[in-house]
Amino acid sequence: MAKVPMKKIEIVAMMSDRKHILERLQRRGVVEITSVEDDDLVQVNTTSSISQFERALSTAQSALAVLDEYAKEKKSLLDSLNGRTELTTAQFADKLTKNQATLSECSKILAKRKKMTESENRISRLKTQIDTLNPWKDFGLAQNFSGTKQTTAFIGTLSGMYTTSELENQILSLRPEAICSVEIISSRKEQTNLMVVCHKSLTQTVLEALAELNFSPFQSKSNLTPAEEIAQCEKEIAECEKNREVLLKELVEFATVREDICFVIDYLSIRIQKYQALGRVSLTKNTFFIHGYVPQKYVKGLVSELESKYDVAISVTEPDESEEVPVLLQNSKFSQPVESITEMYALPNKRDVDPSSVMSFFYYLFFGMMLSDAGYGLVILIGTTIVLSKFRLEKSLRKSMKMFQYCGVSTVIWGALFGSWFGDLPQVVASIFGVTIDSTALWFEPLDDPIKLLLFSFGLGICHLFLGLAVNFRILWKEGKPIDAICEVVPIYLTILGAAPLGAGILSDVPEVLTKISPYILIVGVVSIILTSSRSSKNVFMRFFGGIYGLYNVATGYLSDILSYSRLLALGLATGSIASVINLLCMMPENKVLQVIMLITLGVVGHVANIGINMLGAYVHSDRLQFVELFSKFYEGGGRAFEPLRSNTKYFKFKKENIYE
Amino acid sequence: MSNLGLALALIGAALSAVLAGIGSAKGVGKVGESASGLVSQDPSKFSKALILQLLPGTQGLYGLLVATLLLNRVGLMGGTAVDLSWAQGLMYLGASLPMALGGLFSGIAQGRTAAAGIGIIAKKPDESGKAIIMAAMVETYAILSLLISILIIYNI
Repeated sequence: MAKVPMKKIEIVAMMSDRKHILERLQRRGVVEITSVEDDDLVQVNTTSSISQFERALSTAQSALAVLDEYAKEKKSLLDSLNGRTELTTAQFADKLTKNQATLSECSKILAKRKKMTESENRISRLKTQIDTLNPWKDFGLAQNFSGTKQTTAFIGTLSGMYTTSELENQILSLRPEAICSVEIISSRKEQTNLMVVCHKSLTQTVLEALAELNFSPFQSKSNLTPAEEIAQCEKEIAECEKNREVLLKELVEFATVREDICFVIDYLSIRIQKYQALGRVSLTKNTFFIHGYVPQKYVKGLVSELESKYDVAISVTEPDESEEVPVLLQNSKFSQPVESITEMYALPNKRDVDPSSVMSFFYYLFFGMMLSDAGYGLVILIGTTIVLSKFRLEKSLRKSMKMFQYCGVSTVIWGALFGSWFGDLPQVVASIFGVTIDSTALWFEPLDDPIKLLLFSFGLGICHLFLGLAVNFRILWKEGKPIDAICEVVPIYLTILGAAPLGAGILSDVPEVLTKISPYILIVGVVSIILTSSRSSKNVFMRFFGGIYGLYNVATGYLSDILSYSRLLALGLATGSIASVINLLCMMPENKVLQVIMLITLGVVGHVANIGINMLGAYVHSDRLQFVELFSKFYEGGGRAFEPLRSNTKYFKFKKENIYE
Repeated sequence: MSNLGLALALIGAALSAVLAGIGSAKGVGKVGESASGLVSQDPSKFSKALILQLLPGTQGLYGLLVATLLLNRVGLMGGTAVDLSWAQGLMYLGASLPMALGGLFSGIAQGRTAAAGIGIIAKKPDESGKAIIMAAMVETYAILSLLISILIIYNI
C-alpha cells in the first residue's frame, strides 16, 4: 500500500436534509468537500454564523486561559501523554445541555478577571500616590493650606538642597523687601520640599522671588494632612488586596467547570468546521450539491448509509487527470511510523509513489548505526514500549513512538555488533572488581578498524542510492517509458559498480578479481552515460557535449552522495567515544568506592545527556540521508493532504456513534 | 626540548577543543538570542526553539571528542605518556586542524541558519522540522571534519 486510491464523489440531495447529511459526513470523517464554480449554482454565505461561533469560542478560550493562570490543573508530564478523553453518547448529550450555562460561567470568569485587573491597577496607582506624598509626611497642615488671615503660605518644591537660612537669604538678595519665613519639610540632594510664609501684602513679591528660583507649587485640593492621606491610601490598598484575594478564591472555585469549558471549545470548533463546509456546498432552489473526494475503501459504506437514510443521488467516479486529488497515506505496520517523515518533507504528488515504504528499512538501519550503542538502544526501546503500553496516545504521537521503538531495536543490534554498551561500561565495571574482559563486540570495534566501517558505510549508501534509482526505474517503466527507464538507471549502476572497487582499493585491500573486472564495467558505464544522457537532442555534437556534461553531473553528484554516508561512521564513533569518555571521567579517582559513586552520579547524568544529544543527531541525519540522498533520485512531492470534513477537536474524542441524534 | 613532540600534540588537542568550542558557543548564542525573542512572545514554543538552539552545539562536542581521542592516543589519559618526535607531534597537530577550523566556521554558519529557522517556528510552527533539516545541512561539514580528524589520529 502506499497512496490510498481516491474517488470523486458527487452527492445531490434535498435542501431539507442539508444539515443532517453534513453532520453525518462530519461524523464519518471520510469526505473532503471542495467547492465548485458554476454560474447556475449559488453558495450560501456562512461567515456571519461562523463569526458568531468564533466570538463564543474566543470567550471560552480566554476563560480557559484565565483558569490556566490562576487555577492550574495538576497534570504531570506523563499525564499529558494521554490523548483526548473519549465521550459516550450519553455523556455527550449531558454535556451539550450544559453548554449555555458554561458559556455564562465563562463570562463570569472573564468579569472576575477584569475586576481583578481593576484592583491591581488601583493598587499600583495608590502606591504611586504614596510615593509622591512620602516626602511631605512631616507636614502637619492640610495639603491645600494657603495661609491665615494675615499671611500667605506657599507650599512646593525647589530643586537642589537648601537649609532654612540659605533660602531666606537668597530670597532677600533677590527681593530685599520680601521678608518671609521658610520651613523645610524634607530635603534631599535633588530637591527640597518646603513651605514659605509671608505677610499678605508681600504675596506678589515673594512669589516673584520664588519663581526666579524655579519654585514649583505643590498642587493638591485635599484638606487632609499628607500623613492622613498616606494612611488612607494604605487602608485602601489593603482593601483592594483583600478584594483581589476574594476574587482569586472565587476564580479558583471555577476550576470545576474547566472540563465543561473544554467541551464547549470542542463543540464550537466542530460547529465552525461544519459551517465552513456548508459554505462550500452549492445550492439550487430545492436541492443541494456536494462535490468532494473520498478514499475508495470507504465508498461502499458511505453510499449505502446515505442512500438508506435520505433521498440522495450519489455518483462515484475516477478523478480526472487534471484534478488535484488530495493524498492520504496508508502503509504496513512496519513502514507506517515513518509516514510523518514523508509528511515533513512533502506529500507525494500525482506521479510520485509514497516513499515511506521505500525508506522505512533504511531509516531504522541508519538511525541504529548512527546511535550504535546497545545500552542507549535498550533505554529507548524500554522507554517507548512503556509509553506505548501505558498511555492512550494520539495517533501522531503513537506513530513517532513506534518509530523510535523500531529505531531502538536497530540501535541495540548495531550496538551489540560493535560491542558498545553505554560505551565501554562492561569493561569499566569489570575493572572495578579487578576482572579484565575483552571487547563484547559481535562483529568488530569501530575504533580498531575505522576504514573497514567507513567502506561498509559507503556500501550501505550505494545500496540506498540504488534502491532510489530502482524506484525511479519502476515509475518510468509504469509510465510507459521503458527506454527512459533503462537509460536513466542502468548506466549509473554500471558506473558506480565499476568505480566502487577502484575507490575502495585506495583505502583498503580489494580482491584482485574485482579490480580486474571493474575497469571494464566502469568504461561501459561511462560510455553509456555519454551516449544516453542527452538523447533528446538531435545534433551529434550537442549530444556528445551534453553527454560529457551529464557524465560530470553524475560523477560529482554521486561521489558527494556516497561520501555523505560517512556520517554513519562519524556519528556512530561520536556516540561510543563520548560514552567511553564519560566512563573514563568516572574512573578518574583511585578509590573504588569513589569510582562507584562517580558512576552512579556523573555517569548517569552524562549518559542521559549523551543519549539526548545523539538521538537528536541520529534523527536529524537519518532524515537528511532520506531527503537529500534518496528522495532526489525519484521523488518530487508537492501533493495536498486529504482533509476530510470531520470533528477536529482538542480535548474530547467522540465514539463513532450517532451523537447528533 | 625533548618533549616538543608531546607539546605540539597537546596544542593540537587544545585547538580542536577550543576553536570548535568557540564555533559552537557563537552558534548556540546566536540562536539563543533569536529564540529568546520568540519565547518572550510565545513561551509554548520553547521546546521547539531549544532543539534548534542545540544543533550548533555539536561542533563543540566533536572538538572535545577529537581532543579526548588525541589525548588518549598519546597516552595522557588513562596511561603513560609516550615519547613523540617533533615530526609525530606535528602530525597530531595537523590531525586536529580539520576539526578545529571546520568546527569553528561550521558552528558559526550553522548558528546563523538555525537562528533564521526560528522565524519558521514563529510563523509556521508545523513546519519546524524543515528548519532543523536546513540547519543540519551545515553540520555535514563538521561531520566530515570530524571524520578526517579521527581517521588521521588513528592512522598516525
